[in-house]
Amino acid sequence: MQANKLFKRTLLGASCALALAGTALPAQAANWLMLQGTEPEGASARANVWGFLQMNYSKDFSDANPSGQYVPPKLLGPDLDSQSGFNINRARLGVRGTGFPIDSRINYFLMAEFGNSCITHCAGDNTIAKMIDASITLNYLPGARVRAGLFKTPGAEEGLQAIHVFDYINFTEVANGLLLERFPNAKYTANLPAQTEEQLQGGGSLNGFTTPVGGFRDVGVQVFDAFDVGKDWEVAYAAMVGNGNGIEFKNSDGEYDKYLYLSAEKKYGGKGPKAEGLKFFGWGQWGSRQLDNTNDSVDNLKKYDRNRAGLGMKYMNKPFRFTAEYITADGMIFEGPDKPSFYFANAANSTGANNGADAKGNGWYVEGGWYIPNSKWELDLRYDTATFNEARNDEHQFDKWTFGVQYHFNPMTRVTVNYEMRDFKCTANTAQCTNANVNLNGVGDKIGVQLTAIF
Amino acid sequence: MYRSFRTLALAFASLLLLAAPAQAADQNLADYKYVLHISDMDPSKQELILNNAANLLEAYPPGAVDIEIVAYGPGLRLMFANNVNAERLDSLSQSGVRFSACGNTLKGMTKQLGEEPRLNPVAKVVPGGIVRIGELVKQGYIYVKP
Repeated sequence: MQANKLFKRTLLGASCALALAGTALPAQAANWLMLQGTEPEGASARANVWGFLQMNYSKDFSDANPSGQYVPPKLLGPDLDSQSGFNINRARLGVRGTGFPIDSRINYFLMAEFGNSCITHCAGDNTIAKMIDASITLNYLPGARVRAGLFKTPGAEEGLQAIHVFDYINFTEVANGLLLERFPNAKYTANLPAQTEEQLQGGGSLNGFTTPVGGFRDVGVQVFDAFDVGKDWEVAYAAMVGNGNGIEFKNSDGEYDKYLYLSAEKKYGGKGPKAEGLKFFGWGQWGSRQLDNTNDSVDNLKKYDRNRAGLGMKYMNKPFRFTAEYITADGMIFEGPDKPSFYFANAANSTGANNGADAKGNGWYVEGGWYIPNSKWELDLRYDTATFNEARNDEHQFDKWTFGVQYHFNPMTRVTVNYEMRDFKCTANTAQCTNANVNLNGVGDKIGVQLTAIF
Repeated sequence: MYRSFRTLALAFASLLLLAAPAQAADQNLADYKYVLHISDMDPSKQELILNNAANLLEAYPPGAVDIEIVAYGPGLRLMFANNVNAERLDSLSQSGVRFSACGNTLKGMTKQLGEEPRLNPVAKVVPGGIVRIGELVKQGYIYVKP
């Protein structure tokens, strides 16, 4: 209720600010809302076929616990059965354009995922392909473009940006844990125990979720636009209502998620995903989820809030790039693919303070890039930290340094090498943390090499 | 008698002056004259043809090259008022490049859309894009279709 009031108040304020902001820009300004939701006016194709492939090799140097068992952070997803291997984590094919090219007021975006990730290959949901974008934008109302369908929700930079230009192989812990949503199973699902190498190779599973990850997407309706406010500054907004079920076409709790996004960017030049500028942004998402977290045979779904908010900035002016973002989370704190009912501990603790479903979390990251002048090389460095279950007796801290090198064969093809140094621990002085740290102590470094080809 | 003759001469001269812009292509003294043609749906052709015009302007001394871009069919989208390249059209126009929009295409699009597409103010509607190209070629313009 309070969240709804806040949403309405913020929306009203944003509307007033934007009414004063000026006239709408032509489409295809340098921001994700416009890049993904519109087409260049008078210059788009009827059907522009495009996509990208990302294949990688990763090796996790983590050690097993003293009993020889592994937990998900020590294994490679989505299968979670090995510590090294090749994978095609993204293979996406899409088409976008203006169906009736002389009328720029309507455009569409359609894309499917064929890669091996938790979009297509989760425990109970193995499919060859999954539709991840299917939207139509109506550009009729000045200052209020309307986008409907399945698409990325207005939110954190890491989730909203085009993933094929993401400068790292893996997400930050805060984005992976607090934003990349895992949806509760319809019925209570017990925690999966840590597995030995033999168990994993014999088909043991550490992924208890039955539906795909949210993919930073939702099905719904968004009103958005960008405005030139003078002196090369651009203000953009988006307000969205969605089912709150990610890429699944259902509304399992019967209520709708609300999203709000505002950004202001000083544009330095260029266009497309690598446009240069200094952007400040803020966003919020408010929703609820149903979760059966009682270990019995009764269907007793309980509703929990799932609210997220963030503030950040991005500076891009070659040869330098810098990004920082702070994110807070309230409710539905993901505890790991082996904890599908959002508990770190077993059911005996289900009503205790270690319940991630109503806990809070937060995190932030800073990252920077240096495009070495007169070369095809790029150096990247990122630090991210996240706290899950704040002040609970199983409060966790995830810290990670990522060192990256990229070589751009051409603007559409590059290789990315990342080395991650991870420090994961349970920080409370409790029995739960003692148990958790038996597994987390062994979490070690991780290396990845990824080849990206966009077409 | 002399006054009447002078009045008549002045009126005739005024008419010539009024007609002058329309005949600019016929009477210009440029050493090189190009007609660039766009009728493609492919959006990349829009940038290409504008680049061609810009490169020609850069290659010759001021006044030495005369350029007219003629658009018809799907290529007419280049001259829509809301086209993403509108600023480039303005800039090229200020450098002397002329833009001719096919009237026949405009009529057809108006019928399909139910309303006339708004054109960039720098575009001048000619009765037929293909006819205009023929006229310019007859006048010695070099025809280029990127």
